[in-house]
Amino acid sequence: MNITYDRYSLIIDGERVFIRSGAFHYFRTPGEELARDRFMKMKSGGYNAVDIYFNWNYHSSAPGEYDFSGIKDVRKVLNAAKEAGLFVIARPGPFINAEVNAGGLPFWLLRMEDVVPRNRVGTEYRYSPKYMQYISEWYDHIIPIIKEFDNVILFQIENEYATDTMEEDYMKELYKMVRDRGITCPIFHNDAYFAGLWADCIDIYALDLYPYINPNQNWKQDSFCFDTLDNVEEIFRSAKEDSPPFIAEMQSGWFDKWDGSGYKHIRDALGDEHINIMTKTALSQGVTLFNHYMTVGGTNWGDLACDEVYTSYEFTAPIDEYGVLQNNFYKAKEINYFIDSFGFSCTEPKDIDFYEENIYAKMRHDNSNDCDWLFVRNMNDELKEINLPNGKKATLKPYDMKICPVNLKLKGCEIEFSDVEIFAKLENEKEDAVFMIADKNAKIFIKDGGIIDGDKKDFTNYIFEKDGKKTQIVFLTKNMADRSWLLNNKMIFNADYVLPNGAAAVDKNTEIGYYDLKYKFSKKPCIVNEFKNYSKPEKLKISEIEFCAPEIDSDYDYSSWKTVKDKTDSLSCELYDEFVWYKCKIPDNLTEITLSARHLFAVYINGKEVLNRNSYKLEKLQEVPETISIPLNNKILSKKLNELTILVQNIGFDKGFSGDTNNPRGLVLFETEPKIPVEFKVCEKLSIERSKKYESENPYLTKITAHFDVEFKQNVFFAKYLSLEDFKYRRATIYLNGVKIGRYIKRTHVQEKFYLINEFLKPHNTLEIVVWEKDKNVKSPWGFKFDMKNVKMVIGTEKMYQLFK
Amino acid sequence: MAIVPEFLIKRIYQKGSLKKLDDGASVVLKNVLGPGFISGFNYVKINDTVFEPKDVKFVTNGQELSGIEVSEEHPIAFRLGQSGTLIMSGKSCIIEGINKIVIEAMNPEAGRVELKIEDVA
Repeated sequence: MNITYDRYSLIIDGERVFIRSGAFHYFRTPGEELARDRFMKMKSGGYNAVDIYFNWNYHSSAPGEYDFSGIKDVRKVLNAAKEAGLFVIARPGPFINAEVNAGGLPFWLLRMEDVVPRNRVGTEYRYSPKYMQYISEWYDHIIPIIKEFDNVILFQIENEYATDTMEEDYMKELYKMVRDRGITCPIFHNDAYFAGLWADCIDIYALDLYPYINPNQNWKQDSFCFDTLDNVEEIFRSAKEDSPPFIAEMQSGWFDKWDGSGYKHIRDALGDEHINIMTKTALSQGVTLFNHYMTVGGTNWGDLACDEVYTSYEFTAPIDEYGVLQNNFYKAKEINYFIDSFGFSCTEPKDIDFYEENIYAKMRHDNSNDCDWLFVRNMNDELKEINLPNGKKATLKPYDMKICPVNLKLKGCEIEFSDVEIFAKLENEKEDAVFMIADKNAKIFIKDGGIIDGDKKDFTNYIFEKDGKKTQIVFLTKNMADRSWLLNNKMIFNADYVLPNGAAAVDKNTEIGYYDLKYKFSKKPCIVNEFKNYSKPEKLKISEIEFCAPEIDSDYDYSSWKTVKDKTDSLSCELYDEFVWYKCKIPDNLTEITLSARHLFAVYINGKEVLNRNSYKLEKLQEVPETISIPLNNKILSKKLNELTILVQNIGFDKGFSGDTNNPRGLVLFETEPKIPVEFKVCEKLSIERSKKYESENPYLTKITAHFDVEFKQNVFFAKYLSLEDFKYRRATIYLNGVKIGRYIKRTHVQEKFYLINEFLKPHNTLEIVVWEKDKNVKSPWGFKFDMKNVKMVIGTEKMYQLFK
Repeated sequence: MAIVPEFLIKRIYQKGSLKKLDDGASVVLKNVLGPGFISGFNYVKINDTVFEPKDVKFVTNGQELSGIEVSEEHPIAFRLGQSGTLIMSGKSCIIEGINKIVIEAMNPEAGRVELKIEDVA
């Protein structure tokens, strides 16, 4: 593929292409089949590209060791994108952020001497040849794979990078490393500060834009949050005159954090108005490459999450964590279809004399279609009839934005002006059919053809003929537009979604409609009787309850564990798992121990809990360190030599955007009073992950096991969840068939519903929940076990569709 | 420490805006970075004189706000292109020639933002 560009757009094999991309994380949506499902849904929603971060840390557990097998096989992911007909924007870092653990840098790298991650400390630039050497190693593994795919059209180096002094050698070196390894497509960087950073080091200048990053903010009230977006063309032109405006991350949702407001709140706050305004304003500013971040939500299974985020990375994305299409998907689809129908890749700003408070208006001349497009946005909290300079009126609902055609020439007529929006267009040489979204407040002005009121029922149509050519204007209500799909110059109606191969998905008995210019309308019934009970949740029967932390027991043999040489933090000990155990002997003359551990931890002496704490706290975007002292007495230290056990749960390393990725985790500080040297032995992972022998007498970590079956059927999409709605314990780790799929940690807001990732499901499944509870609730082990029998584990089906070819 | 590069933060300061007042000084800030909020003024230091939030006023869009009125709970909007005058009072601080100025403010998204500049009154 030959990929060039000019100031308007990317040019692929000689043709202008408007890039409508969506971000997808293969590591958070694991497995080829899930990737394929999500890519096909993206394609059906009018996206023509997928943006893929390649996560170095996911593939490399030790220097020189790289795993691209099984679910880590990125070739299969790239192949699925190609088969779905999507271009790929490749973003292999080395740093990616993405709220992943350590921003995607391998854990082993963080502890390396002479390595300065990202060549900076704080905001100060510090070049590290050894860091560059390890990047070479990563690039040597990932770039040859990326290079195998000719649908890769853009390649990003680093991410959201800046230093105080902006030395260019790091970025220039990355650029050269990529070119030396044979990447020929344009290279870009994603500037988080929209300040033209690194524009001279790359081919195409790109930036990211997130006007809503504070869920407590009301973006509708603080409409000035779009100030940068409203002027973004100027930013692009001053950064790089000859490259097309590219928003490498354009907000289509937002992530929730520990103690955040919850994804429901964010989804409700953004509605479908936000993605509508973001995307249409970008178009009004001449943007011809955008990437909705995220388009597909994912799951922080395993140890994927950085410390900020919990298991769900649903991101309020158009395609949610379960693979279900949401309202913002339908809005994105409308805009994508519109772009697909008209190209929109070569436009110029055109002056209009207009000002009205809370109204944004912008005109662009379209060089390809020889017409104008008027963009109007209403930020008032009421319906507005806006008097336009061309003498026409546009009527907009609150917080709505429209793209209105001006002097748009069709085959059989010309639309002089319309504030009824265009959904999609089909055309051949002699005929076109323009599908419009019915709007009771809007009108279409046909040049020499009268005015058509926008208040119409589904499929109401008007035919215009001129010079032997024909235009049909067809109305769709918003509901029908959501269920209408543009595929290869055909329209398919009344389906929940349609895959690129023409398969239509429905969740109830439906009559699918088809329309193309040659054969006109046809219909097909789709019967899905067997789905009627799918939404009924099922309470699982608990089959086993076992205490599973023998490490806490006094007689536990830990002689084979690693001895701590110097520092106790997990990086220094080269232990990167979420759970790290520390054991040692302490004498009975100690009066106090003082420790700092990140993030959740418990201290046991002679098999009894003396402290259980969650020390995770963020203030003003910074981690708040906590040091805590435990007074000791002869009741606690009941033996001459006492056995101390500390279990620390690291909920993730810093993602590296505003903090340093190598901030220590695990046991960060340990001191005794009086001061004595202590020799710790360490080990990572919970015993159920390490070995099959984990029976224990102590009740602090308890495993609940249940089994359930799943019926796999051909041509059926389903997404299942586990609900822990009435769960009364504070912490739990969830395993599906041995794979860690979730963390339940009670805080002000708690995730209670977990996606049972299809890739890890089998016909017969084992679900294990390890509960880590505080001493006060587990005084009587027998009673505790008895209580646990009442734990309610509910399995349900989020959504199910039958596919009809 | 938030990763907003120093050279970008410096763009907020209007060069040449430092003015000597009877019992303090004033400077002008203009937001050329992007729309956002100020959620606190931690302190302003001019040469060796430190002004606490109570000694600082921010005048913008016809509003006059004391430094103690601006907080995480009550942030003030600072639009792209918007200007504001920061007035420090109660202490004489300006010297002849080059003055060293440090302004530390809070932003809900970026955290602590430190602006270090030099200017002549």
